[in-house]
Amino acid sequence: MNTTKHWPKRALILSRVLSRAFFSNTSTSASPSPTFPLKHVTRSNFDSALVELRSHVRAADFVAIDLEMTGVTSAPWRESFEFDRFDIRYLKVKDSAEKFAVVQFGVCPFRWDSLKQSFIAHPHNFFVFPRQEIPLDGPSNEFLCQTTSMDFLAKYQFDFNACIHEGVSYLSRGQEDEARRRLKSLYKEQLTNSSHNLRETMDVPLVRVADVLFTERMKKRLSEWRDELLQNRSRGPQDQGASNDLNQQFQTVFFKMRPALSLNGFTSHQLSLIRMVTRKHFKDLVYVRFNGESSSQELVVFTDSESDKDRLVEEVKNEHYRRAEMRIHAAVGFRHVIDLLSSENKLIVGHNCILDIAHIHSKFLGPLPLTAEEFVSCVNKYFPNIIDTKILLNADNILQQRMKKSSTSLSSAFSLLCPELAHGFKSKVQSSQPCVKVEVHVDEMRSPDWNSGAKHEAGYDAFMTGCVFAQVCSHLGIDFQLYSTSENLVQNEKLQKHMNLLYLSWINGDVIDLRTGSRTAEFLGSNILRKRFPRILYENIVLIWGFPSKLKPSVIRECICKTLGPTSVISIYRMDQTAVFVQFSKAELVSDFLILKESLERSDDAISVLHPLSQLLEGGNTRAASYETYKDICESPVSELLFADQAEAVGIKWKTKLLPSDVVESQEDNHFHLENALDHTPETVEKSKIRKTEDVVNDSSNKQLTCNEIIDTLLKVEKIRRTSNL
Amino acid sequence: MVALIPRRLFCTKISRNCHQHQLQWSVKQVTKSNFNDSLHDFHSHLSSSDFVAVSLQNTGSFSAPWHRLSSFDCPETTYLKARRAADRFQLLQFAVCPFTISGSKVTAHPYNFHLFPRDELNIGMPSYSFSCQTSYLTAMAQQGFDFNACIYDGISYLSRAQELVAKVRMGNPIAIHHVMKPSSTPPSVADTIFVERVKSRVKHWKKACADSSSRKTDEALVKSLRKLVLGGEQYGSRPCMTIDVCSERQVQLVLEMLGEFSDDLVALKIPTKGGGTQAVRVVLTSSKEDKSLFERQLQNVEEEQNKKIRGFREVIDLISASQKPVVSHNSLNDFSVIHSKFIGPLPLNMDEFLCSLRLVFPHVFDVNHLMKEIGPLENVTNIPAAISYLKNRFFAPIDMEISHGALLNEGKIHGQTVLRICHLFAKLCSVLRITPGAIQSSDDNITSLLDGYANSFKSCSGSSQESVDGGIRIWTKSPRKVGCKHLVFLWGFRDSLSAGMLKSLLQGSHDVFSEEFDVCLVDKSCAIVVFLQPNLSQAFLDIMSSEGISGSLRELVSEGLRAAGYETYKRACGLGYWEADLASSLDKASATPDCFSQSGSETNPSEVFWCNDLMINLGDL
Repeated sequence: MNTTKHWPKRALILSRVLSRAFFSNTSTSASPSPTFPLKHVTRSNFDSALVELRSHVRAADFVAIDLEMTGVTSAPWRESFEFDRFDIRYLKVKDSAEKFAVVQFGVCPFRWDSLKQSFIAHPHNFFVFPRQEIPLDGPSNEFLCQTTSMDFLAKYQFDFNACIHEGVSYLSRGQEDEARRRLKSLYKEQLTNSSHNLRETMDVPLVRVADVLFTERMKKRLSEWRDELLQNRSRGPQDQGASNDLNQQFQTVFFKMRPALSLNGFTSHQLSLIRMVTRKHFKDLVYVRFNGESSSQELVVFTDSESDKDRLVEEVKNEHYRRAEMRIHAAVGFRHVIDLLSSENKLIVGHNCILDIAHIHSKFLGPLPLTAEEFVSCVNKYFPNIIDTKILLNADNILQQRMKKSSTSLSSAFSLLCPELAHGFKSKVQSSQPCVKVEVHVDEMRSPDWNSGAKHEAGYDAFMTGCVFAQVCSHLGIDFQLYSTSENLVQNEKLQKHMNLLYLSWINGDVIDLRTGSRTAEFLGSNILRKRFPRILYENIVLIWGFPSKLKPSVIRECICKTLGPTSVISIYRMDQTAVFVQFSKAELVSDFLILKESLERSDDAISVLHPLSQLLEGGNTRAASYETYKDICESPVSELLFADQAEAVGIKWKTKLLPSDVVESQEDNHFHLENALDHTPETVEKSKIRKTEDVVNDSSNKQLTCNEIIDTLLKVEKIRRTSNL
Repeated sequence: MVALIPRRLFCTKISRNCHQHQLQWSVKQVTKSNFNDSLHDFHSHLSSSDFVAVSLQNTGSFSAPWHRLSSFDCPETTYLKARRAADRFQLLQFAVCPFTISGSKVTAHPYNFHLFPRDELNIGMPSYSFSCQTSYLTAMAQQGFDFNACIYDGISYLSRAQELVAKVRMGNPIAIHHVMKPSSTPPSVADTIFVERVKSRVKHWKKACADSSSRKTDEALVKSLRKLVLGGEQYGSRPCMTIDVCSERQVQLVLEMLGEFSDDLVALKIPTKGGGTQAVRVVLTSSKEDKSLFERQLQNVEEEQNKKIRGFREVIDLISASQKPVVSHNSLNDFSVIHSKFIGPLPLNMDEFLCSLRLVFPHVFDVNHLMKEIGPLENVTNIPAAISYLKNRFFAPIDMEISHGALLNEGKIHGQTVLRICHLFAKLCSVLRITPGAIQSSDDNITSLLDGYANSFKSCSGSSQESVDGGIRIWTKSPRKVGCKHLVFLWGFRDSLSAGMLKSLLQGSHDVFSEEFDVCLVDKSCAIVVFLQPNLSQAFLDIMSSEGISGSLRELVSEGLRAAGYETYKRACGLGYWEADLASSLDKASATPDCFSQSGSETNPSEVFWCNDLMINLGDL
């Protein structure tokens, strides 16, 4: 088994070194940069690595981080859409962080060395695996893997064996507290009823002859030993060697400064018999089960007096308690690194890191709160200074130009901004500023132009992020000589305006401020290249799902336009093969549509079959609701593959969810509209229209409506709608 | 009880040897790289064997303690739990072992296939995501499982249902092998016009092709111009043309029309993404020989593609096609996984599942079930324990002969379980005297002998168990048979209450608890009360929902105590309320209107085995 544990890492490192060597040979004529792997941390070297990391982080100006997870979205419809409202975006991030596991955690502290005029980076790559080290209550530890993500990791030669066999485990703060509480209550319980606990322990009934004989022999053996001890005491210690045990099962040792007999090679049944004998027949002997590091040891200890006996029992108990505490401390594992980052108050640098931060929250701090605002305030408490390089890159116009049309992905930013580090040569397009130098230290090895080239390895990605950050800082005119401490860097006004801003969703540039929880749609000199979408009015949106799968969005649009007017639908967005968002030109159309759909479903005569919407309703499983329902569905912990199945799993039984607005009011006066419909003042038309359509529902539910009446009402609605459009 | 008195003393040595070698049995490991070669070997081994044993390695089996199978589960809930696990977790290893039993000799050909659901065709299949239970992965790691080999080199697959979807989605041309019968309906005017138009186009095109092939020295420009004018394309090296169609009717008309040209034209259907036909592509071949060559080529391409799509499922299809009896240790769990990954989505209820499964695997043996025939073994659920039990009690030496014996080296140790299943099965057959001394090659013979045992899924065994050996129970803690209606689920009591404490709390609370009853915890949030007297459970439920509740029970209820019958539990499973705590699931289920029991699920009064051991079993959750 040992061999399987060791080979993969070696092979992996080798292959990476080789591939890097190959890469640098082909890309540049310069001699290949000295490469050595970054610091891989597994549970075997975690303790020592943590000690080193502690000092590096203390000295650092900033710490770059990056995470690798087992997946990003738990279902296709949980991917990021343009039609996601701010709160939905957070729910999607939350779902991802709750379901997937972190398998690698890159931490790279950067320190400015004023003598060398260069940054010193210490890239660490932690393999993390949520192994259950100590028994805890609650649901079994489970995580989701997204097939494509696993494949992606495999493509970049992620070492799954190192992760699962040797990954560092962790407990969140909540879990640790729970474990400690349990230990304390257990300990208290023992303290309060320790005296009768001993007596209460059930005696082993001596049924078999063998047991009786064994007990007798043990009684004899123990009393001999005790007598010998007492004699020795009176005679002095020189005669100890005389008690040479023939039986290897008994060995005289010292336990907590007291003579003791260590018991070896007994079965558990025999041990319980010995325990009973000790308790019943020897007032001055104590049976002790002592849990060592790896194995437990059974002992019979001699005590001088009753008080000495109590003291011994106490000591043993404390020892057990201490050991249990140490086990909890060890089980906290990787969270020590998070605690370190938090307690040192360093500037944390990530790249498009909202998901990383959410993972850190859910894995190491506690369950993610329900709203983005609560999440943000909690994060801000633990990590007061976070900076996102993606924000920085997109905020600055000059940088934008320099990035040209290339994406702001981490690797392309790295190779553009830090060409010397990325490719080992100076870029042909000389920039105004020279590259910030970064020297890499791993254990004893150091290199001024290090590059392991292992993209999508958390440690290396963290290193790249840090380099990009350093380069952007120098571009912004930050002199590291002046801001050589972390506090100064944080206080820098040029950085301040970008501090604690994260992309909640990159896809349409929603930015959240960690300090205030307020959000801005991309701020300052935002990315000019990006195509701006027209503002989406969520109250104008209807969610439709469960329609026949062969229906294309264009057909759905046609269906609706035929009923509600050619300009009624602004846009239609396909969520997956079972669901679409339809954005109407006006909010009223949402309720019109829902009411119409409802009424069509209730009546099953010829008219409903001929209606243009019937194509959409075919199959009888078509559901529709306003945007709020989307939020309810996103909130659910379930993740079915298709949206329609998800909605069903969430427990949606209804076909159409009408808007709650105005319902109560209009029911009070059902005939109000008859008089007012003739009035053509715009406001009354607006009002009466809702009531009118409301009536359709009320009536049809009473099954009193004939075909003609439906047509009439529909025509009326249409007419009123048209006039109000004028 | 069957006891085999020493029969063949000389076997002892061999069987002991084999026992020593148990951990070193060599199993052929198959990954993506050697899959095609191994498949060939496997096929020949399969056809020369009588049985196939299977054993699966999954990434997990339950998400919360109560999702595990318990003794209080009836067949329905057992299936629902298995279904849930099969949908959620992923299969990483599939060990298959075709084997033959002749006398005391077992000839086995074990294969261990490493699987990974890679999305090779980029269509989100076979699986978008899957769940992993850390404890499972940790245990696998301890056994030296190589996750890199699995994820880097695992063989992918598509289920039968997924294959259909994938083929449509890829939109590759489908060769039309069978010439359709002429349509019975007389052609309409529109049809005639359509056919005439197409006919003249085809004629023109064919003629042009013949012309151009005679003038081989055309300039490139002229060639491309001609192509533009005639609308001809190339299919490989052969000229072809595309005829757009609007309906399946038109497809048929085109095909009928092409029948007149049948000498050298081959028609291909171009499917739409939705599954219909978009166009018919006509390929011109130069001669009869060329036509058959082209058709063969098409067939090869299709087969190649199908192979790529099916991946590992080829193995399942081979087993299914061979109709050999399949032996498994935990058949319900194994086959629900096989069904969901390789056949199609699992049906909603057990009967449909069994029907669907029987079409694919007509004979399934569960060694667990066979072991029950011996009687007291019903508590022995793991394979090594069962083997050693049989070894101590019966003399039934089995000589294992492994085909890959010579290849023994490091890394071949995975998939041992499947061999133990073979071993155990052979031993059981010998003990139960259901295997004839010399097995005839004819399959019918074997299956008829074993027929009584086939397809008895563990969960259905409730009734058959009774019929086999009613009274013989050696265990002191014998399971009692309790009707589901005697069980009441209780939740909403204080945290960290033990079953004993709860029982004593209940004992004094009401008259219904004056008779004998039993309490055990399902998880920390929920307990089951078993009433041993009839009607008391209903009486208790009535009291719980009545106004006139009094005494300490009233106090308990005001603290939040709730109760529900077995139907609510069934409903929670059926509606998929797989919450982390059974209490929340039951809360949800009892809030949902009862639309489930009307569907006739109550018709068969299900019974479960109430076992006092339950409390002990729960300890190791």
